Amino acid sequence: MIELERLGKRFGSLVAVEDLSLTVSRGEIFAFLGPNGAGKTTTVKLITGLLRPTSGTARVDGFDVVTHTLDAKRRLGLVPDEPFVYPKLTGAEFLRFVGDLYGVPYETQRKRVPELLEMFELLDRGGELVESYSHGMRQKLVLASVLLHEPKALLLDEPMVGLDPKSARLAKDIFKTLASRGCAIFMCTHILEIAEKIADRIGIMLGGRLQAVGTLAELRGRSTSSGGHLEDIFLQLTGAGEYAALLKNL
Amino acid sequence: MLPLVARRLRCLKNRVAGLKRWEWVRNAAFLSLGFWMLFGLYRAFFRLLTFLNAIELIGPLLVWKLTAMAMLTTFGMVIMSSLIISLTTLFYASDLRFLMRAPVRMRDVFADKSLEAAFFSSWMIGLALFPFVIALARVRGLGWSFHAGFLFLLAPCLLLAAIVGMAFTLALMRAFPSARTRDAVWALSSLSTALLYGLLRFSQPERLVRPDMLRRVAEYLNYLQAPTAPFAPSWWMTRGLSACAVGDWAGFAAQAALLWGSAAAAFAILILAADRTYALAYSGAQESPRGSRPTDLPPMPEIRLLGERGRVLGALLWKERKTFFRDIKHWSQIMLVGSIVFVYLFSISRLPLDTPELKSLVCFLNIGTTGFVLCSLGLRFTFPSVSLEGRSWWVLRGAPVDVGGIMTQKLAFSLAPTLVIATALVAATNHILDADPFVARLTLVTIWLTACALCGMGVGLGAFFPKFSVENIHQIESSAGGFVYMACALGYIALVMGIEAIPMQMHFQQILGRAGAWVPWAAWASAAGVAALNAAAFGIPWVLGLRNLEAYEGD
Repeated sequence: MIELERLGKRFGSLVAVEDLSLTVSRGEIFAFLGPNGAGKTTTVKLITGLLRPTSGTARVDGFDVVTHTLDAKRRLGLVPDEPFVYPKLTGAEFLRFVGDLYGVPYETQRKRVPELLEMFELLDRGGELVESYSHGMRQKLVLASVLLHEPKALLLDEPMVGLDPKSARLAKDIFKTLASRGCAIFMCTHILEIAEKIADRIGIMLGGRLQAVGTLAELRGRSTSSGGHLEDIFLQLTGAGEYAALLKNL
Repeated sequence: MLPLVARRLRCLKNRVAGLKRWEWVRNAAFLSLGFWMLFGLYRAFFRLLTFLNAIELIGPLLVWKLTAMAMLTTFGMVIMSSLIISLTTLFYASDLRFLMRAPVRMRDVFADKSLEAAFFSSWMIGLALFPFVIALARVRGLGWSFHAGFLFLLAPCLLLAAIVGMAFTLALMRAFPSARTRDAVWALSSLSTALLYGLLRFSQPERLVRPDMLRRVAEYLNYLQAPTAPFAPSWWMTRGLSACAVGDWAGFAAQAALLWGSAAAAFAILILAADRTYALAYSGAQESPRGSRPTDLPPMPEIRLLGERGRVLGALLWKERKTFFRDIKHWSQIMLVGSIVFVYLFSISRLPLDTPELKSLVCFLNIGTTGFVLCSLGLRFTFPSVSLEGRSWWVLRGAPVDVGGIMTQKLAFSLAPTLVIATALVAATNHILDADPFVARLTLVTIWLTACALCGMGVGLGAFFPKFSVENIHQIESSAGGFVYMACALGYIALVMGIEAIPMQMHFQQILGRAGAWVPWAAWASAAGVAALNAAAFGIPWVLGLRNLEAYEGD
């Protein structure tokens, strides 16, 4: 569903993403890990067409995001790392707006919008302006908006930030259900526990390059670290040696 | 306070150090463009002041009266600007969340942000005063000491005007912590300002500057010598300048002391007041109106109007309408626009024009003044419309909507009111002045074309210079892009007038009885020129903006 082929992005002399090739299939949850500045968000922006690649290609459901941008976007749902939403729209109005942008039939919207608001416990606040929402409520509203148009591929950039435990659990269950229905999920996260629990495959980025990719078992097999936890594997691949040195500065 | 000032200096230093070569070239180009615009203003002021100064006996009085009025206008404009900028800078700036959490005294945070608000609300208006003062100095034969005196008096005068705006905003936010009441008071204040502006104009102050309207010459001389708003700092500045001009250094020092002393005292009082009120006012500002609207799916008349095929455009227009009219900061502007239209037409009706030819000529020149009004409205509403998507830009960019569709929606949203205002100003002027049919038709068609071209130019250049991360609309207006828009728009209006002067000249020659006044090829060439100019004014910025926004990767 999501195919990246030798994808690269440079900002002047800075290499943000280099030679990235990977595929996320239908029904697969792919966790994309890496330290800050590794190139995760840039990759998400490249797939959604918010940035243009300097090399390689990104395709969604067979559509190149540069040459067939709108076809690719119709199949995508994006939850960005910061849920900025029009502050002067109400929650219900925002969902209606997104529904119309993605061509969701009005009757479907009438049925789904209250359901989604209720699912994310926003029904009693759905008539209030978004400017009065907390960060977590905005995050839930954005999640509701992507569910409204039922994307074939879902791009999540730190989707759990700001969510309360109940909502985080709900979000995880939603992702698993969507995947079971055939949606490809590409999720950037720093919460390794989530990746460990729900991801089918995991990719680890460092300095714009993909350091490792595979199932948790495959990564464990390749790792030389003593613990079998994803955290140990992650630290080993992204600079565990430096980690000990960092603590000396505490 | 020192760390706050140091951070600003460091940010400025980093910004300058981070400029790439092409950015230096671009900035140099904008600076030279700005210089030439100021030079144009200087030439205009110089001619006006030379004319006034040459009038026998009362010339110098007229020059200083005009100076006092220029200072008063500047003072008033800075107050208005400060009212809007201080609301966003003092209460909604993005760095406030960090500063409020930091162990910094509240008064220091307020002092830092209030100086920022004072700077942004006054620098551009203050800069526009320079050509006037330089022209004044040249006409009156004044030396460098006069310029130095002006610079010394300008800063406290602008600061005092900005303090008025900030004090009102602070008092409003403190007195009405409830968001809903505050919005209502803000709207009523805006309405009062608009009404006051209208009332001032309807009192016909021009009767005072027209000697024939006064019964005795003595009255007129008294008027010229009387202070213009004696309690306003702008008058103190005028007196300081006139003292400086005649070498009365004691008088200059007295006015300078009055200005600097008042500015220092007012700023100190503002800071002390903020020490008690700012925290509460800031806290109140973070609240949003909690009034709930129905959660049922809202009807979208725009979609009903455009049908299923225009559904995306309809949804975009609906979103634009909702977000625009729910933002209280736009209300004051809308009310002012309304009062400007009425005052404009009232002023037209009071013009002392005697002959039908003169009336028709004024109707033609009205394209220029209406065009200027449209340029200003475009700078305030059309040009920033793309940037006002703000941090929510990802919603549209991530959705299956092409950039051209987004720009078309922005154009449609701006075009309708612009056409209404343009038509009202031109059609009503033609009616009031009883323009002849040729002039009436020509001006109406021209202003429709102009409205379309200016809207296209505004959206196009707005897309070419997007600023999605700004905190207030003034940062968009006063950006390099805003400057380019205004320069292009004014240049375009001047060219339209220049080209259409050809058929107008032939028309008047015919009225005055000259046989064969109409030269068909010249008339057709003029029409083709206007058509080509409009196409270029609309098309070039549009294509540039479209390409830039499609490739946009910032924010």
